[in-house]
Amino acid sequence: MISRKLQYIIATLVLAILAMGFYLVHLKRKAESIGAPPVAEALTPPFSGPAQQLTLYVASDEDDSLRPSVISSALPSDPGERGRLALHTLIARYLQKDSPHPLGAGSDLHDVYLLDPASAVVNLNAAFSQAHRSGIEVEQLSIFSLVLTLKAQLPQLTRVRFLIDGKPRDTLAGHLDLSGWFDVAMVIEACKGLR
Amino acid sequence: MPKEHAISVRAIALLLVLLAAGFAAEPRRISVYSPQALYQVDILVREGVDYVGLTDLLEPLGRLESRADGKKLKLTFNGSEADFQDGKRQYHVRSNKLELLANFLLIDGRGYIPAASISQLLPRLADQAADFHLASRRLFIGSSQLHFSAELRHAPSRLVLSFSAPVNPSSVIEKGRVRLLFRREALVGNGADNVSYSDPFLQSISFTESPAGAELIANLLQPATVSIGDGGRTVTILAVPAAAPPLAASVPPPVPSSAAPSANQPHPAQRPRPFVILDAAHGGFDTGSLLSATIQEKTVTLTLARRLQKELEARGISVVLTRAADNLLTWDQRAISANTSHAALYIALHASASGHGVRFYTSMIPSSPPGQTKRSFLPWELAQAPYLDESSSAASALAAECTSAGLPVRSSTAPLRPLNSVTAAAVAVEISPFGSDADELGTPEYQQKVAAALASGIAALRGKLGDAQ
Repeated sequence: MISRKLQYIIATLVLAILAMGFYLVHLKRKAESIGAPPVAEALTPPFSGPAQQLTLYVASDEDDSLRPSVISSALPSDPGERGRLALHTLIARYLQKDSPHPLGAGSDLHDVYLLDPASAVVNLNAAFSQAHRSGIEVEQLSIFSLVLTLKAQLPQLTRVRFLIDGKPRDTLAGHLDLSGWFDVAMVIEACKGLR
Repeated sequence: MPKEHAISVRAIALLLVLLAAGFAAEPRRISVYSPQALYQVDILVREGVDYVGLTDLLEPLGRLESRADGKKLKLTFNGSEADFQDGKRQYHVRSNKLELLANFLLIDGRGYIPAASISQLLPRLADQAADFHLASRRLFIGSSQLHFSAELRHAPSRLVLSFSAPVNPSSVIEKGRVRLLFRREALVGNGADNVSYSDPFLQSISFTESPAGAELIANLLQPATVSIGDGGRTVTILAVPAAAPPLAASVPPPVPSSAAPSANQPHPAQRPRPFVILDAAHGGFDTGSLLSATIQEKTVTLTLARRLQKELEARGISVVLTRAADNLLTWDQRAISANTSHAALYIALHASASGHGVRFYTSMIPSSPPGQTKRSFLPWELAQAPYLDESSSAASALAAECTSAGLPVRSSTAPLRPLNSVTAAAVAVEISPFGSDADELGTPEYQQKVAAALASGIAALRGKLGDAQ
């Protein structure tokens, strides 16, 4: 015969286990409904100094457009750092809940390397490519918006190369060729076809 | 430990096990190939032995009745009777006394036998041969097995695989090899799982099987394409003509923009030149983008290519496809097909759930410098340069017809393979739904509308593009 006290203990434990199970399912559903994780940091990390204009070329899937969006922020003086900040800010914009051009969860930028004032190498993380939607248009909008945003900060820039986790990649997500350099002038010309 | 405590510990442990079961990994399964059905049976592991449920195994094969009585199970399958007893190896089928390789299990009225005993039980109970491949967990019942033979032929070099029944494998063309994956076919080896060849095209063939299916791998020394013929009974792995870049080369060698046909190809004068070559993007394992829960890009591009082909042929325009089945071609193979076809126009077909209407892309490479002609030697990745103006004109003509058909249109340049290496007017077309429903991409009505508009645009280009190169 089980004592009354022991019955209470078992019942409490069973309820606790069931409650934990339901809470776990609730958390899982909540995480799925959120989609992209919230951007951990502010759109522009703090830098001391006078506020300057930071131009982002923001893609919109709704009308296949790339539009400049100017924000005011203190910017680092180092060109590479400034380029990194601009692209990081743009990617953070795309990861927000109301993004006009959503990127996959966890998409981020490792770094921007300036080989010389005219040549930049952008190193994106694996999630940027792996979680990116597949299609010529959506891939083109992502890459072109990064190129134009970088050009806005680095006026001498003439060519950009993209790496994924430090390695060359054939395509971004099955369509857009990432294996070579992007000629900035040709990207600007191609963007005339965008709205 | 007091009895009460022991009971409570067991109760909690049982609850934890039940909760954990929800997060457990997918169970191991046996793939069953039979003339009646292709199905899978879950494996139950008890004391290190793999068991299968008799009901799961036999129900798809015929009429099954079973009745548990205490520790005994009596079943009737298509009129044949069998008796089993929980915890015993011995059992009876049609009054014959037989022995399982491990004890019979009766759990909640359901009988389980060791998987390794299937080959013994089925022929006696179902009058059908059973061949169980233990390592790959594939069970072949009756005459379901499918056999193949391989033959190496020359001029041109090709490996011809003949099958005893139609197949539809997924093909993957990788560097130095072609993989054919048979997920639904009951393909079995032909006794020699690895065969080596002394041939400049084919190095070896190997056959492997796993729970996911069977795989044939052809290790090659030259690039190749894969085609399925004879109603699916033949798969041909064909060496790409000698003008193709070798598989081992990381960068294809320069080619003349008007490449002469190789010795293995018929002379252009001996076969009609198509006006247009249609390239349905993706294929095989490369599904392209997932357009909706059920529609893959590779399927839409292929059906659209076929519709466009019919529309063009109805207008008297000669057309060829780079792929007519669900097989994967590399970018270089697509460009080689286009260039060796000497078509005046190359059109790559893509599909996307994003955006609306039809988008046209031409190559994003620099224009030819002054003095460079279509007959100049060019790097492989810049072979399109002398044709950029023609490509742009073609894109404009196609866009104009689509606009007339009421489709939203946009044109741009983009870095896309294999456009850069095509020696003809070359345009990539990406279709998106007209409205917001991506399922529209798979509907015959929408595809037909787009195909008709594209065909009209192509027809308008006759006589405007340069001679086929």
